[in-house]
Amino acid sequence: MNEQQSTLTTGPNESYLENKQAIAIDIQDLVVKYGSKRAVDGLTFTVPIGSIFGFLGPNGSGKTTTIKTLLGFRPPNAGGARVFGYDVASQSLQVRGRVGYVSETNSLYDFLTIPQLCAFCRSVSQEWDQQVVDRYIGLFGLPPKEKVGNLSKGMKSQLALSLALGSNPDLLILDEPTAGLDPMARHEFLNTLVSEVASRGKTIFFSSHILSEVEAVADWVAIIRSGKLVLCDELNHLKQAKKVVKLTYVDIPPATEIETLRCLPEVMNLAQEGRSVRLLTHGNVDILEQSLKTRPYTLRDVETVDLNLEDLFLESMKEVDHGH
Amino acid sequence: MAIKELIEARWKAIICGLIALVLVEVSTATYGLFKSALNTSNMQQLPQFLQQQMQQMTGSYDLYVWGNWFAKNGPEIMVIMAIVLGAGLIAGEVNKGTIFFLLGKPISRERVLLIKYAISALILLAISAISCIALLVTAAIAGHPQNIGGVVISTFLLWLGVLFGLGLALLFSVFFKDALWPLICALVITLLTVIPSFIPDWGAWNLISYWSNQAVYMGQGFPAKEFAICLVAAVVPLILALALFRKRAF
Repeated sequence: MNEQQSTLTTGPNESYLENKQAIAIDIQDLVVKYGSKRAVDGLTFTVPIGSIFGFLGPNGSGKTTTIKTLLGFRPPNAGGARVFGYDVASQSLQVRGRVGYVSETNSLYDFLTIPQLCAFCRSVSQEWDQQVVDRYIGLFGLPPKEKVGNLSKGMKSQLALSLALGSNPDLLILDEPTAGLDPMARHEFLNTLVSEVASRGKTIFFSSHILSEVEAVADWVAIIRSGKLVLCDELNHLKQAKKVVKLTYVDIPPATEIETLRCLPEVMNLAQEGRSVRLLTHGNVDILEQSLKTRPYTLRDVETVDLNLEDLFLESMKEVDHGH
Repeated sequence: MAIKELIEARWKAIICGLIALVLVEVSTATYGLFKSALNTSNMQQLPQFLQQQMQQMTGSYDLYVWGNWFAKNGPEIMVIMAIVLGAGLIAGEVNKGTIFFLLGKPISRERVLLIKYAISALILLAISAISCIALLVTAAIAGHPQNIGGVVISTFLLWLGVLFGLGLALLFSVFFKDALWPLICALVITLLTVIPSFIPDWGAWNLISYWSNQAVYMGQGFPAKEFAICLVAAVVPLILALALFRKRAF
């Protein structure tokens, strides 16, 4: 453990709580290595209390490693993280006391029946509400006395979520919770997350690489790549910050026009295909539209389009590739 | 959590219990058969030293039972059972991916490991107790009632001795990702502890020799030295396993 970590090992003292009351997860300069390889490389971001936080990244980007570190499965090599003010390295037990966790593999004890698994969870939880579990088991339509090994993958995911909620956690950490589920099961799972869990004020931190599902439920997103943070913001704010402007010229615009457009301060990226030009912009689109009116070449159409999360993700990846 | 461990180990425990029961019966009920075999003409054809050994073994029922069960079959089968039970305790959870479900709960790693160890040790104790009762009953039926105190203390000593195998298997179980390697490693190391018995004047370093004591079986004294050695041998791998499990990254 290095110096940076040791500064994070005190408990959730009052001054910390005063400053960080609205923060569920606080990750600071986190580095986690597998041998010499940095799986997480200087990650810093915070997760606000009450948010549904989508943690995105390509396969192998460090999402699961970050989650494992938050839950104390792996120690940080440098930096640190706090969950509700508790240091994840030295106060892991307190962290896990407030967290419900559903792992990527959804591996449960197949040899137990659902009531036996509930009894097991009750025996290892600080707080347990069987009524909550029974309610979710009923909501998902799971056979209440069935052996876990006989359940389908989707049912196991639903059971894992039900059990995670049984300890009445303030924070749910879900690692690729819908991986391997069919669209119906995925829809049902996400619906429950939003309508039942998030509406009760719980914080949900979930990793995924299925962008459409994150966009459907998340209000905050963080994107990581190669263990490094690419962006972290409110989803609405991100969508407002970047827009696509599609220009359709009457005639094919000359290279000088394209270069002029590329140099406009609002334009981040440009792609031309015949008479159509696609501008990725940040800043005020109105200003851009004003400056377009002064261009000498006639435009047939100007259309402003909101970016979806997939576009944002791809653009962020491109920016990283180009070294921005 | 203890219930879950018991349910998980139930088939291993039942199979091990049955094997132990059969071996105890074989070790005790064959005395008459063996003794009558010594008088046959076939036995006369055996080398002299073998004949002498067999005559020594069948000199008395008590000696035969002790030699067969507490000095030979008992330690061998019980330590294999201990290793089989211990090898999958952590490695099995890692292999099946359930370690994340388990360690995601607000329970300390030390508690997880100690509960798992305690349940396996209790299963071994139960198997030892069943074997002990079976031995006493069979001997009584055969008309050779045994010294109950001696049998009970010997059984307890044997159980304490094989906890070394359980601890070793647990230690390797923390280290490896599947149950096969802990099983192999623990078996090899346990076998290595027998090597001193083949070296002149090194017999005292044979750990397994402390798992049984003939005088105690016959009701003569209490094996304090053997108990102390077995206890230390059981505790050391457990402490190492605890230290390793506390640091292990998953």
